[in-house]
Amino acid sequence: MDKNSIFYDPSLKRRHFKSKLFKYFTLSSLVVSLLFLGIFLLDMVLKGSSAVQQTYIQVEVSYNQESIDNYRSIVDKKYLNLLSRAALREVPEQMQANPSLMNTKEVVWILADDQVDMYMKKYYYKIGEKDLSTLEELQKNGMVDKKFNTIFFTHGDSKTPEYSGILSAFIGTILTLAVTMLVAFPIGVATAVYLEEFSKQNWWSEFLEININNLAAIPSILFGLLGLAIYINLFGLPRSSALVGGLTLALMTLPIIVVSSRAALRSVPASIRQAGYALGLTKVQVVKDHVIPLAFPGIMTGNIIGLAHAMGETAPLIIVGMIAFIPDSPSSVMEAATVMPAQLFTWAGMPERAYIERTAAGILVLLSVLISLNSLAVYLRKKFEVKW
Amino acid sequence: MATFETKNKHAHLQEDIIKYLLILAAAISILTTFGILFSILFEAIEFFKLKSFVYFFTGTEWTPGVENSQFGALPIFAGTFMITAIAMAVALPIGLGSAIYMSEYATPNARNVLKPLLEILAGIPTVVYGFFAAITVAPFIVKISAAVGIEASFNSALASGVVMGIMIIPYISSLSDDVITAVPDSLRKGSLALGMTKAETIKDIVIPSAMPGIISATLLGISKALGETMIVVMAAGLRPNLSWNILEDMTTVTVRIVDALTGDQAFNSPATLSAFALGLALFVVTLILNIVSVRLIQKFKEKYKMSSL
Amino acid sequence: MAKNKVKIEVKDLNLWYGDKHALHGLNIELYKNKITALIGPSGCGKSTFLRCLNRMNDLITSVRVEGEVVIDGKNIYDKDVDEVSVRKRIGMVFQQPNPFPKSIYENVAYAPLKHGIVKKGSSCDELVEQSLRSAGIWNEVKDILKEPGTGLSGGQQQRLCIARTIAVKPDVILMDEPTSALDPISTEKIEALMLELKKEYTIITVTHNMQQAARIADMTAFFHLGDLIEYDETEKIFINPAQKKTEDYITGRFG
Ligand SMILES: Nc1ncnc2c1ncn2[C@@H]1O[C@H](COP(=O)(O)OP(=O)(O)OP(=O)(O)O)[C@@H](O)[C@H]1O
Ligand SMILES: [Mg+2]
Repeated sequence: MDKNSIFYDPSLKRRHFKSKLFKYFTLSSLVVSLLFLGIFLLDMVLKGSSAVQQTYIQVEVSYNQESIDNYRSIVDKKYLNLLSRAALREVPEQMQANPSLMNTKEVVWILADDQVDMYMKKYYYKIGEKDLSTLEELQKNGMVDKKFNTIFFTHGDSKTPEYSGILSAFIGTILTLAVTMLVAFPIGVATAVYLEEFSKQNWWSEFLEININNLAAIPSILFGLLGLAIYINLFGLPRSSALVGGLTLALMTLPIIVVSSRAALRSVPASIRQAGYALGLTKVQVVKDHVIPLAFPGIMTGNIIGLAHAMGETAPLIIVGMIAFIPDSPSSVMEAATVMPAQLFTWAGMPERAYIERTAAGILVLLSVLISLNSLAVYLRKKFEVKW
Repeated sequence: MATFETKNKHAHLQEDIIKYLLILAAAISILTTFGILFSILFEAIEFFKLKSFVYFFTGTEWTPGVENSQFGALPIFAGTFMITAIAMAVALPIGLGSAIYMSEYATPNARNVLKPLLEILAGIPTVVYGFFAAITVAPFIVKISAAVGIEASFNSALASGVVMGIMIIPYISSLSDDVITAVPDSLRKGSLALGMTKAETIKDIVIPSAMPGIISATLLGISKALGETMIVVMAAGLRPNLSWNILEDMTTVTVRIVDALTGDQAFNSPATLSAFALGLALFVVTLILNIVSVRLIQKFKEKYKMSSL
Repeated sequence: MAKNKVKIEVKDLNLWYGDKHALHGLNIELYKNKITALIGPSGCGKSTFLRCLNRMNDLITSVRVEGEVVIDGKNIYDKDVDEVSVRKRIGMVFQQPNPFPKSIYENVAYAPLKHGIVKKGSSCDELVEQSLRSAGIWNEVKDILKEPGTGLSGGQQQRLCIARTIAVKPDVILMDEPTSALDPISTEKIEALMLELKKEYTIITVTHNMQQAARIADMTAFFHLGDLIEYDETEKIFINPAQKKTEDYITGRFG
């Protein structure tokens, strides 16, 4: 360009370069965040995918009185260290349930010990030399195989890693969240209805509003302190129970439900209300029969999001004792229970490598449930989205 | 006429009952806040009856289990501060950078995809982050440090700080993106019409205009980091450690709360009650951060006359 | 008209918003140290045309421009012309006053500092004062230079925006309905200011206010549906237009 032109400005080159640099900085921050998400999910899949299968060994089992008395004599002694103790302990029960088996022998697939499983999955393992040669022998004869890990989905926690599953934690989660939603749903929606439809703009409604905002920002662990001090110490509710856990989570979920329900109520146009009043309906009737039904999909969406939030919460539940060892699924909200994230926390702290794999698998299960819930919320919102 | 009147009265009563039920429900949120405040406060007072208030905030020895136990929380506060600072050092530039890209450079369609994608990070349970920090990130840091000849702890502040930062990214980016998008376009045009480049416009005009909202998002992020529990319980240390070395293990307020309340000490022992003193400090600080944050965002809304954010 | 010096020469200018053909082959010569008013009914393309003159349209992704806009002998749509340098030389004032959320001083000093026209310090102070004086607002703000520009009244804000524009020392000032958001007294001040500024600058302004065009413009261009219908000395346009459409518009028969 002509140096005499009024549009000649050599300093711009530098400024454009800086501008580009800035753009690439922002782009790379976004890429880095998404990369984190990707690495993180990939890491979980890599660590957890091996838990889909579990190693089994084909051995001859002898059903007789001796094995009922001592499970160690069910199989040949040399296999004992290779098999899951917990699985062997179940065999006598099977015999008692099915007496016709008595005094017979049978070749069956028995769950392998976690170290054998680690060996099969090519992780670090600790197996004695003698046991290892037995195992290699078995492997050569095709007596060792990996099968789909049903135990993980059908059993509760166990001190033997190969025998532990998430069922009891899953049931615990359902019980806890049932309590949570039974409490938080009516109170949350009622609060939203009051604030949107009944309260006048005054200090009281403002105070309520600020309060709900603050409640949403209080660190979750402090709700645990409340649960401990009030539900357990003051009211004497059973520690570790789904009831206490659920009540604690209910207070945490409340602001999420209130905020989203209010948004749903607000989206119902004033004309609907006026039409109701014009028909001579009272305020309660208008709200109950006309406003709430129209806002309901939005309210449900908010509740599902609140539910998903509560489902991932761990810290306050630890404080109220929901990290107990729970091998059997709780059958009532008063019994000691654990929830999925708390179960993952417990497993993550275990020394055995096999628990790591299970933790990652549990995380994948938990994330799947959460993603499903959130997708459901998005779907509901899209489906019932009405442009007024 | 008579039936009409009785019906009316009946309806009135019903209306009133329902209204009071609604008020009662709404009051629960207040009860909860005060429930938390008082349950923490009372136990904290119990604690301070047993142990020195001043030493709690200034002392450096935290020895709950032993005889003649001492409760100087300074190293715990310091550890919390360090890990929070690391988290913000990760989350603030990345979160703000992402927000700027989404609001200023990306097409609206891309933004509609990117924003929810980032928000997935906020939806991941913190126990999952904790696992990631403890099992993947911490050993990685140890390995890297060893490679350059530095010793790092498996419970390094760096590991939990970085992972916490990742968790906080969406809190920063989402709110910042909202406020940056809300900055009126006329300001951008005014700057560009003066012959400013796009980046100059963003840095000098847009970001300063959105500053109250960005500060608000930052305070919210800090509040999240201070109160975050699972990541530090799983990946940070238990040892109160007054140090600047982020490769060393450090502990936080939340870790010590969990530790104090999951042990089998008697409930009214100072070791257990110390959890409530720490909880009180956490409550007060996060409450202040939240109030300031809400104020700032309100100011921003008023300035640009926005109804919803 | 021979004594008029051509500052901007527009040749066969076409503009599309996506498929929408918004400017249809415009040809026009705009004169130095004159005020040219662009008039025409809403949506006829006045703003679009104005934005072509400082390449602000480049910011709209769907826009496609053909033709030439030659300013001081250089087509600003040439490949080797940087649009940022165009905007630096061709200043623009908007309909809504849009001061930056900075102090009054910084509002004016911002661009000159970035462009390296002045360095921080007394030369910058001088430029700020001079620009504010030229914009006729110095006396009102000289004691509150550190206050935010957004705190001024609408009319003051607009003059601040003009000060900010002339601080960059442009060749041309484009104004898109600069007074339509202002009260009559502020409008009067801006008009007086424009008459003052044309001594140094070439001014092109869009207005819906016929009286305003008649009062201040030397030249007037009438646009209709993306076409330049008539362009002549203001007096001629208002007293004796050549085109029926122009006459209809000016007499208020449509628009
Ligand atoms: N960003 C855009 N994208 C698509 N079409 C546009 C855009 N801006 C303007 N248009 C269209 O181009 C035509 C000219 O618009 P322009 O704003 O230039 O008119 P105008 O004469 O300035 O009108 P007004 O007097 O109302 O300001 C109009 O039909 C308008 O709808
Ligand atoms: Mg216009």
